[in-house]
Amino acid sequence: MIAPDAAADLRAERRFDLLAAILIGAIAILAAVLAVIQIDTGQASTHAQVEAARLSADLSARVEVNSTVQNQAIVDEQEALTLSMQATSRQMAGLQYGDDGATAIGRAENQAAADLGAALTATAATSGGATLDPYTAGLVNATTPQLWAEVTEQNRQVDLANDAGARNSRSILGLSFLALAGVLTGLAAVLREGRAGWIALLAAVAMAGAAGLVAVLAVI
Amino acid sequence: MPGELFERTTIETPAVAVSEMQETSHDRGQGGVAILLAVAAVVAAIVGARASMVSSDANDSWQSSLRTEVKRSAAAMNDVQELYQTDLPTATEILRAQILAAELQAAEPGQSPTVHQALEVEAGVQSQLALALSPGSDLAGNSTYALPSGGYDLGKRLSDIRSQNAQLLALDPDGLQATGDSLAQKALLLTYALIPTGLCALLGVLAQPLRRRRNALLGSGVVALAVGVVMAIGVEVLA
Repeated sequence: MIAPDAAADLRAERRFDLLAAILIGAIAILAAVLAVIQIDTGQASTHAQVEAARLSADLSARVEVNSTVQNQAIVDEQEALTLSMQATSRQMAGLQYGDDGATAIGRAENQAAADLGAALTATAATSGGATLDPYTAGLVNATTPQLWAEVTEQNRQVDLANDAGARNSRSILGLSFLALAGVLTGLAAVLREGRAGWIALLAAVAMAGAAGLVAVLAVI
Repeated sequence: MPGELFERTTIETPAVAVSEMQETSHDRGQGGVAILLAVAAVVAAIVGARASMVSSDANDSWQSSLRTEVKRSAAAMNDVQELYQTDLPTATEILRAQILAAELQAAEPGQSPTVHQALEVEAGVQSQLALALSPGSDLAGNSTYALPSGGYDLGKRLSDIRSQNAQLLALDPDGLQATGDSLAQKALLLTYALIPTGLCALLGVLAQPLRRRRNALLGSGVVALAVGVVMAIGVEVLA
């Protein structure tokens, strides 16, 4: 016959072993879940960071190319305008000093200014033409609303990267708690079902619970 | 000898023999638990390592897409600057001089000799200026870029400049990013295989204290492990 104390010891041992086994299994499953979350959030963060950086590079190129094209169109308009002003001045000077040659040259320059303006307008209209590849055409023909839309998307990607990065940090914190839970379970297994062993085991349960909580926070 | 007596007694007692048989069966069950947990650990390690490698490849592909994007942007900006800031200003000066020369010459008929001469001299100056500037502009020097209405076809010229470096024009950061996305998805799917493997570990460790249900738990653990392995292989082959 088994003594009552021995039976109680046996039950306590079985409870301890069962709890330790459940804890080890839970740690294994939580580790798998946290690994999934960690990979998912880590990749999401990297993807959003790269996307944001790409959009920044694209925005810089669009702004640079677009402003270069626009500036040159304005400079060309100024070129025709300058010639027109030069023509008018020459005509006025010719009339003032009775110089028919200067007046005739001024008149010809005036006509040339009109021709030059029309030719340069036609030239500017060919920027970003159909012969260009889609990417370069997109840079040349970028409009301000398009640029603003791209800025908005770039900011959204930065926010996504920050959010995914924060969730990734939580998943790593969960894995750290889980590692601690594993160590405490190992300690409890060494100490067995004495007071110290139970304290270690319950601390491991608390750590695993904290890891589970952090895993939930990393998902939402 | 006392030892011999004890040995003989235990062997000859049926209850002890049954107990020993149960003990042997119990040990065999423990061996099953150990093997299952060891296999689950190895599978988890392999799957985790593979997922990490694939995730790293995805990261590499994404970083390459960023580098390619910067390279593509820089190449495009360089080509645009070459045309609009170097070639076009000279071409505009040439166009200005050519138009002026033409208008001055057009104004010559019917003028007095003095005025005719002034117009002719000025037209000559503009023609010489256009001629002198011509070698400095590929845009003005090539008639294929001349518009019928005057001016130049900048789109065509920029297209030709861009085509001179076909390898830069062929840069495809979107393709690299798509490859990275695909690899990232594969890495994530691979890590899903860790969940049934973790479940296998749970069932395996529970089989240790729950002796009466050990066989059922071990069987379920093997099934969970098999699901994890099949998932991992399936993702590896199909994704």
